[in-house]
Amino acid sequence: MASRLATQALRELVSRWAILGALALLYLAAAILSPDAFLEPAYVGNVLRQAAPVAIAAIGTTLVMILGGVDLSIGAIISLSAVFCAVQMGGDAANVGPALAATLLLAAGLGAVNGMLNIASPGSSFILTLGSALAFYGLTQLYSGGTARGIVAPGFREFFNQRLGDVLPVLALAMLLIAAAMELVLRTTRFGRQIYLIGSNREAARLAGLPVGGVTFACYVISGLFAGLGGIAVLARSGVSSTFTGRGFEFDALAAIVLGGTVFSGGRGTIVGTVAGTLVLFIAFNLVNILGFNYNLQLVLKGAIIILASAAYAWLGRER
Amino acid sequence: MRNHPSRRTFVGGSLAFAFGGSSLLAPLAAHAQVDRAAQKKQMAEPVDTAKFKKAGPYTIGVAAGYMSNSWVVFCLQHVRWEASLHKDVKDVIVTDAAFNPGKQVADIEDLIAKNVSMIIYWPVDEKAIQPALEKAIAKGIPTINAGGGFTYSPGTTSNAFIDQYVLGEMVAQHFMTDLGGKGKVFAMLPIAGTTAAVDQLAALNDVLKKHPGVELLSAEHGDWNRAKAKQISENLLQRYPKIDGVYSPAGQMSMGVVEAFEEAGRAKSLVMSPGDEYNGWMKWVVKNKKGGAVTFPTRAGQEATKLGLKILAGQPVPRGLVIPSQYIAPAEAAKYAEMDKPDDWWASNLPAGFKPKA
Amino acid sequence: MAAAAAPGRHGAALAAHRRHAALRAARSAGIWGLLVLGTMLAAVLVPGFATATNLGNVVTQSAALGLVALGQTFVIAAGLIDLSVGQLLGLTVVLTCALSDGRGELLLPVALGVLALGAVVGSLHAWLVNKLAIEPLILTFGSLSILQGAIFSYTDRSVGRAPEALRWIANERLLGWPVAGALLVLTALGAHLLLRRTRFGLRLLATGDDGESARRAGVPVARIRWGAFVLSALGAVAGGLLVAGRLGTGYPNAGQGFELDAIVAAVLGGTSLAGGRASIVGTIGAVLLLGVIANVLNLLEVSAFVQTLAKGAIVVAAIIATRAPRSQVRPGAAHAPVADA
Repeated sequence: MASRLATQALRELVSRWAILGALALLYLAAAILSPDAFLEPAYVGNVLRQAAPVAIAAIGTTLVMILGGVDLSIGAIISLSAVFCAVQMGGDAANVGPALAATLLLAAGLGAVNGMLNIASPGSSFILTLGSALAFYGLTQLYSGGTARGIVAPGFREFFNQRLGDVLPVLALAMLLIAAAMELVLRTTRFGRQIYLIGSNREAARLAGLPVGGVTFACYVISGLFAGLGGIAVLARSGVSSTFTGRGFEFDALAAIVLGGTVFSGGRGTIVGTVAGTLVLFIAFNLVNILGFNYNLQLVLKGAIIILASAAYAWLGRER
Repeated sequence: MRNHPSRRTFVGGSLAFAFGGSSLLAPLAAHAQVDRAAQKKQMAEPVDTAKFKKAGPYTIGVAAGYMSNSWVVFCLQHVRWEASLHKDVKDVIVTDAAFNPGKQVADIEDLIAKNVSMIIYWPVDEKAIQPALEKAIAKGIPTINAGGGFTYSPGTTSNAFIDQYVLGEMVAQHFMTDLGGKGKVFAMLPIAGTTAAVDQLAALNDVLKKHPGVELLSAEHGDWNRAKAKQISENLLQRYPKIDGVYSPAGQMSMGVVEAFEEAGRAKSLVMSPGDEYNGWMKWVVKNKKGGAVTFPTRAGQEATKLGLKILAGQPVPRGLVIPSQYIAPAEAAKYAEMDKPDDWWASNLPAGFKPKA
Repeated sequence: MAAAAAPGRHGAALAAHRRHAALRAARSAGIWGLLVLGTMLAAVLVPGFATATNLGNVVTQSAALGLVALGQTFVIAAGLIDLSVGQLLGLTVVLTCALSDGRGELLLPVALGVLALGAVVGSLHAWLVNKLAIEPLILTFGSLSILQGAIFSYTDRSVGRAPEALRWIANERLLGWPVAGALLVLTALGAHLLLRRTRFGLRLLATGDDGESARRAGVPVARIRWGAFVLSALGAVAGGLLVAGRLGTGYPNAGQGFELDAIVAAVLGGTSLAGGRASIVGTIGAVLLLGVIANVLNLLEVSAFVQTLAKGAIVVAAIIATRAPRSQVRPGAAHAPVADA
């Protein structure tokens, strides 16, 4: 009996940090297959920068998923945030501060809409955020009129793309800092603990007096807010909004989150896992490229990775 | 104790499915060839406008394959502007297929149901909508292809277009001069299968035949999408240690390309071919004093509208009306760039009331 | 059957079943009520709507989605989900046109071939869910990506041509009735009978309602899931054949978005994402309603941007309005995946 508990505890530990192991293994394989790239610090910094927008958006959504829900509207929120921010900047460096603030307010507001919908109809977050995604995309198109409106302030893109110590782009550093901050929030604050508890058993949490509705609302607002940050990150990376920004992000984020060990039924998950999951995806993509494979094989690889990882987690989590 | 199926079988199986499936069935479609002489004859063919002649008032239907692209937004504004100059045009109805060819088919059917007098369109996929366009013609509604290429088929009455081969040739020739006749390059092309993509590549290849010192590393499709062009360029920069120049006639995509090179620190020695008059590209040309442009006029929409109205009046028109492109040298770019307008903008003669919002 | 259930509980279960049936009837009546109301309003207020041509167009335009949504109804009712149907549809379109290349005599073998391919894909999904307990949502998202990559590795532009017979089925009318619509009605009839009148259908609903209890009651859950995934794939392939006929050519991106539209249609029609509740009639009603809404917005010349916004708002409103009574979600119900919608 004791050894059975021990094995189970061990498997839980492995399951929790499996993604880090996978990331290390993958990086090792990549370094062997293509040392000129993956052993080059500047290149690694580049991969981090590529992954930043998805990672940042996924961090916010991780909270929603630990809670047991899902947020499929983040791609649309990213799109709207990017265009809105560019328009507010209007090509003037003096506008950057107010533009960023307004954009984050907007994104949080959209998240609040999701939050209210989910309180009104709990348990339907999949279809609800699908609907809100459509609505937000429509808003984005109406606002932009079909063109990529707005002019990014000069120096904005350059600031985020410059490399510290010639290696780490500022945008990548921002992602790492945000991730660290959120992981701390989850681990050490009461709010973080409440999220895990509600995700594990919503009914029990409610009976125990936890503010289920309030925490749910807050998580969706955070998810929206981080999607807004992701939109700003996209703007920082490319220097211009486009009418297609953000499309498909929600599924890449979902893949990264699930790869990182967060499960759909809720109650488990870490920010570190999510970021690691994002990096696994992007290293795999870059590897496909460098090895000279057809660009479309990235899609096949993405799908295979997702399925394999899910199988691995399911196998680890299964009781014998 | 349950049997655990071999994971290797699964991985092998799924990859085999993907790889094997794609290699077993080699694409059957031959790549479209460009026969310039035949095409020129087709463009000059007169249209039998007698069967379309009808009296006003007219309703113009625009079946847009997509609207999320600044060029087509400006093209549409030119349609609206031209329509406003004619008293006998009472309405302009626009449908947007959002890159879904099935929806564009449905949109065309809906426009027919609304009894529009003519249909101006730009396709998502030219072949997919032909049957729907033929239905329109059967009902006496002329169809005009506006913009990127010349379509010669029963579903398209006439074309108001930019000759992509001539454009591609002009771009390639200036590119060769700027390159000094040698180097490794890649091509950034529009949506695969469109006339624009096919003709631009054909023109490039024909010009390359006369410059054996230039090697074409790869022909990529950026779909007129700046972000996609940037991502593809990043991939190519990783794959090829030496890239001297990029053939990119579409300024939108050129922007994505140069950003990728700049961020990789390889932009100093990069030779860019002329792009088009996309405002973001023009701003870059002014700043960097290289590249230039061969124009891709958005007034194609205006010309398409004029063509349509002539057809409805029973006047003679050709199957293809070319809107000529002009070369803009880097030194003259400042005259065309609007530094205070967004990148996603095109120089035009549109009056203030018809310009899109900035 | 389940001899273990106590008589009192059995009676209560029967009453609950009847209540559910009544609720289901009300909900699918609801969606059809909306459809009829909407159609009548449109006939009066929207010029050009109430013509035989236009109404036939709406049916023809909706037929492919209808077939995909029927398949999706089964898989959602079983407590699963299938996001790969859109790309499977796209693959069908490309293969059908590329392999037959317009030749009528090849239509039947090619159609049988793609249906077989669909069955294989569905079987693979079922195997992975049954054996490896992978979440269907994430599994089919992975296979969506694989299929998409496979399509685009094969071709990046339209290939081939659909045979004339297929184009006739997808576009034309017989005695004024759209052929594709007749096909949809017949398929829906068969689906309804399969769901409500066969042992498979009843077992499928039981599996979706509570996988563990069904298994304990002797339902071959693994086989039921296999049937559900295969039906979903077949719906996608059948829809793909129609789309091939509609477009006439093998456009690689033809399937984009079908999976989400199919799910929306199923849910609007009364099928619960938690599993165990489904309505074929409701699905068809929802598909037609979505088609009417798109058609009306086009005829009213509403900008496509507003149409997207409207569609999203309608979906959200419909979900809030038809809030399901709180169902008991068992924590850790690992073998009945996607317990939370």
